[in-house]
Amino acid sequence: MFKRIMAGALTLALWGAAALSGPAQAETGETLATIKDRGHLLCTGHNGSYLGFAEVDDQGNWHGFDIDLCRSLATAIFGDDEGHLKIVPTGWAQRFPALQSGDIDIIVKATGWTFNRDTDLGVQFGRPYVLAPIRVLTRKELGAESIADLDGGTICVPAGTTIERYVAEYAAATGIQADFLAIEKTEETDAAYLSGRCDAYAQWDVVLATVRLKADNPGDHVILPDIMNAEPVAMGMRQGDDNFVDIANWVANALWLAEVNGVTSENVDEMKANPPSPAVAKLLGATPGIGDQLGLKDDWAYNVIKKFGNFAEVWQRNLGEDSPYKLDRSINATYKDGGVFYPLVLD
Amino acid sequence: MLAVLKLRKTRNWIIQALFVGALAGIVIFGIVTASQTMQSQGMTSGFGFLFRSTGWPISFSLIPYGFGDPYWKALLIGVLNTLFLAAISLTLSTLVGLLVAVLRTTRNGVMNALGTIYVDTFRNIPIILQVFFWYAVYTHLPRPREAYDIAGTAFLSARGLFLPGLNVTGLSAFIAIVSGIAGIVLALWIAHGRRFSRKEPAARRRLSWGVAGIGALAVMAVLAAGRIPDTPLLSLPELKGLNFKGGINVSPELAAMATAIAIYGGAYLAEIFRAGFLAVRRGQIEAAQSLGLSGWDVFARVRLPLAIRAILPTLTNQYVWLLKATTLGIAVGFADFFMVVAVSITQSGQTMELIGILMAGFLTINYTLSSVLNRINRSIALKGQNIN
Repeated sequence: MFKRIMAGALTLALWGAAALSGPAQAETGETLATIKDRGHLLCTGHNGSYLGFAEVDDQGNWHGFDIDLCRSLATAIFGDDEGHLKIVPTGWAQRFPALQSGDIDIIVKATGWTFNRDTDLGVQFGRPYVLAPIRVLTRKELGAESIADLDGGTICVPAGTTIERYVAEYAAATGIQADFLAIEKTEETDAAYLSGRCDAYAQWDVVLATVRLKADNPGDHVILPDIMNAEPVAMGMRQGDDNFVDIANWVANALWLAEVNGVTSENVDEMKANPPSPAVAKLLGATPGIGDQLGLKDDWAYNVIKKFGNFAEVWQRNLGEDSPYKLDRSINATYKDGGVFYPLVLD
Repeated sequence: MLAVLKLRKTRNWIIQALFVGALAGIVIFGIVTASQTMQSQGMTSGFGFLFRSTGWPISFSLIPYGFGDPYWKALLIGVLNTLFLAAISLTLSTLVGLLVAVLRTTRNGVMNALGTIYVDTFRNIPIILQVFFWYAVYTHLPRPREAYDIAGTAFLSARGLFLPGLNVTGLSAFIAIVSGIAGIVLALWIAHGRRFSRKEPAARRRLSWGVAGIGALAVMAVLAAGRIPDTPLLSLPELKGLNFKGGINVSPELAAMATAIAIYGGAYLAEIFRAGFLAVRRGQIEAAQSLGLSGWDVFARVRLPLAIRAILPTLTNQYVWLLKATTLGIAVGFADFFMVVAVSITQSGQTMELIGILMAGFLTINYTLSSVLNRINRSIALKGQNIN
């Protein structure tokens, strides 16, 4: 009896100690050092496919807009993303706890910048890289021309996302009486709309375009013109590491700088040899001064652009003309093409 | 000192105290570490968020809910939805289980085979697949404008089943149903319970009917108080614009969950009931028959009570298990307690607190269920037959 109790207590104590020691939390200001020591970057994926942003193909490889940003970041840090990036499949609800516990280094997962996430959750956001208009997809046969015509109908929304709030606010502000059906899994929400459980589906217009492609006859569905809200989508990092936030911001910024200055993956070598302006020379590492301050090499931006191209190329490959979704960049273009995005100044 | 340790009683006491102390230490250490880590990462902890407004909708609620309502109310709605779904699906699965168990214990070959096929099929398909299956079936019904019309008063469509209802608030309907069931159960208990066996039969009958009457009055009073003003008492569903208005709507999410749990749980319960029926000795059935009891009386007054006495602990286990199966609601968007907690976690970010609330909530619900059933088990057990 005595022995058995002692053995039991000992097992329990060991188990308790093991549970508490868990994953080590990242030291503040040392994210970059940790990543370099580890040899690879840990970035978010999706628990399934989030078409256009994070999707898995039949060989198990990840593709998508968010995935390309993760790969760019890994390339900036290591010079190449092959073998230096690990995509961790993460659910919507898991992403913040996973970041805080150190299971991932950065959230690049269609994540909106909100007050609550910024303050209560202790997430440090980078610059928004997409502005996502929230619109609704509906069936043409219902004859709705605006969201107001959906009064009395049922609207499907993804559960646990900012979109739930936007539709609630929009309905309250415009006095529309509608039933909302919130479903957690993306696949189930899509199926619920397509089977006719809901009259309309509220989501980013980018995502709605991919859902429409899944319908038997995409021509039967229409994305209504009203914009409920536009969500600034940003990368999320742990608070207290300014260096890592700078790196993430400037990797995204390098893509915009390249686009605005006409640098592409094809002409990058030529541009580096004969830089048209001092800013481009610095960006591509022809003249020094872009690497040291961030703790990177001077050719990090060159490597990223050589491999993934500028912002426009990343968009075209994953969401635009070269993808199945054929999405227009519209508001997500740079100011030169009438969009809201712009590069920061490289001096 | 050593002499004290030699006493077995003292030694056992010290070991137990050390054991409990170590456990408490681990728990306290865990809480302190967690709160320190969260503080250093700039996360807010505590239960203050419960009083903040949610700002997101809930698709199914028995009590009125708006976007400005606080988190505690959203969680309460989740608990009520879980209880509501559990009440429906546990009742249905019990009925299914009883029916199938009767089929499997008859001497009729066809019925026997039917029961066996049922149990083997539905017990061996994971419940989540059955939930998805029924949800797909219900959402592929015709759209509201082409709904199946059942005598002009009820409609079946991809939005669910629309039934005629009363123009009363959801909460009053819920209270009315609960008080109605409570009245019936109390009246039956007074009429049949052992505690009232010393009362005179006439007085006992009067008391029983009195309680039933009070229950009926309470139901009517609650419904009258909860009536929505300026509307007729009876509310019929009617196609208006995109959907039906009025009446009661059984949503596809609720229907899919209730069907899946009833059918899956029914298969397990059927085997438990069958075990109970087989545990009743043939002699007792024959004794009942030789008293001249009808077939139904033999079943309802001899076989079933004896079977239930034998299987109640196993049955309790299964009920607790099925209650936890309601958490699958999140898969099809039924706003049960688990789904509301999961959404609250992503919306408020208070992971630790909400998981604590979730665990405490399910512990309370399941503990209440099992202790009520255990109490019944003790009171119907044959006295002096058990070890303790």
